[in-house]
Amino acid sequence: MGEAGKGEKRVDYMNLPCPLPFEEIQREALMSLKPELFEGLRFDFTKGLNHKFSLSHSIFMGSTEVPSQSKDTIKIPTAHYEFGANFLDPKLMLVGRVLTDGRLNARVKCDLTDNLTLKINAQLTNEPHFSQGMFNFDYKGSDYRTQFQIGNNAFYGANYIQSVTPHLSLGSEVFWLGHQRKSGIGFAARYNKDKMVATGQIASTGIVALSYVQKVTEQGSLASDFMYNHMTGDVTSSFGYDYIFRQCRLRGKIDSNGVVAAFLEERLNMGVNFILSAEIDHLKKDYKFGFGMTLGE
Amino acid sequence: MASRVSSKGKGSKGRSRRGKCVKEWSTWAMKKAKVVAHYGFIPLIIVLGMNSTPKPHPFQLVNPV
Repeated sequence: MGEAGKGEKRVDYMNLPCPLPFEEIQREALMSLKPELFEGLRFDFTKGLNHKFSLSHSIFMGSTEVPSQSKDTIKIPTAHYEFGANFLDPKLMLVGRVLTDGRLNARVKCDLTDNLTLKINAQLTNEPHFSQGMFNFDYKGSDYRTQFQIGNNAFYGANYIQSVTPHLSLGSEVFWLGHQRKSGIGFAARYNKDKMVATGQIASTGIVALSYVQKVTEQGSLASDFMYNHMTGDVTSSFGYDYIFRQCRLRGKIDSNGVVAAFLEERLNMGVNFILSAEIDHLKKDYKFGFGMTLGE
Repeated sequence: MASRVSSKGKGSKGRSRRGKCVKEWSTWAMKKAKVVAHYGFIPLIIVLGMNSTPKPHPFQLVNPV
């Protein structure tokens, strides 16, 4: 009787919470450490026609990096206008974005039943053989989730994640690339409590990724992440912060590759956001600064 | 005799030819589906959105305010 009064609840292993989907295991670390940094001007305008349907117009003028063999970074100035339409229903979500060069980015999410969801992700281009598409079937159980993926180029994948204790969930994934006859398997674990999240992932492609996020105050959290690629011998570690205040959200990080980055979103008014992005790569001497505005919700 | 030989040959070749036929047709169908999706996805979203309730006015599609 005295032990029960200590405040420790007995764990009901038949009633564990549903875990996060496998691809979102590192969600908190990704949100804090990988904001959408950009270089140049960005202007986004979202106009809602009713609460389900909205149109968006987006302008970008700046440089995009082109992968190059030499150590120098090659930047090409680009400018594009992107038109988008979103339809959000409780059971069906359609998001489409089309660029001035004809590329279409499409996302479909459809709840076929209460537990089964179909997601389609596609990038269609005018050039032949450059389009990509992926179909995902997600099934959500009481304390597990499983997903089956079919992609173009004969890509098949499946993953499964299970809650083992109220705080720990373990998962694994397998994939098979048809055209290259390659297959792989990976394992992941996520441990989260009220104020911290720790995740680890290891894959047979030779990648080990660990992350840790700790909420230090009501407004801010610190995050760190470590990635090791056995095939290329790359090791990257980064450390960052994410502070959410009443009017702004500030994220910053520093990397073991000598990269310092920051991203600020400031709410000037209802529906008007001002964005500043900075990424300084000291080793490659590459300095990227961007500014922009976002109108609409 | 010749007809028997030719019919036996057609049996095994027929199966592989049918497999090739299926592959060709499915490639053709995928190509057409890709073109339909490329041109029709955004109009589909707009049509669904304009028919949802509360029905927005078509002028709101082009009005920037």
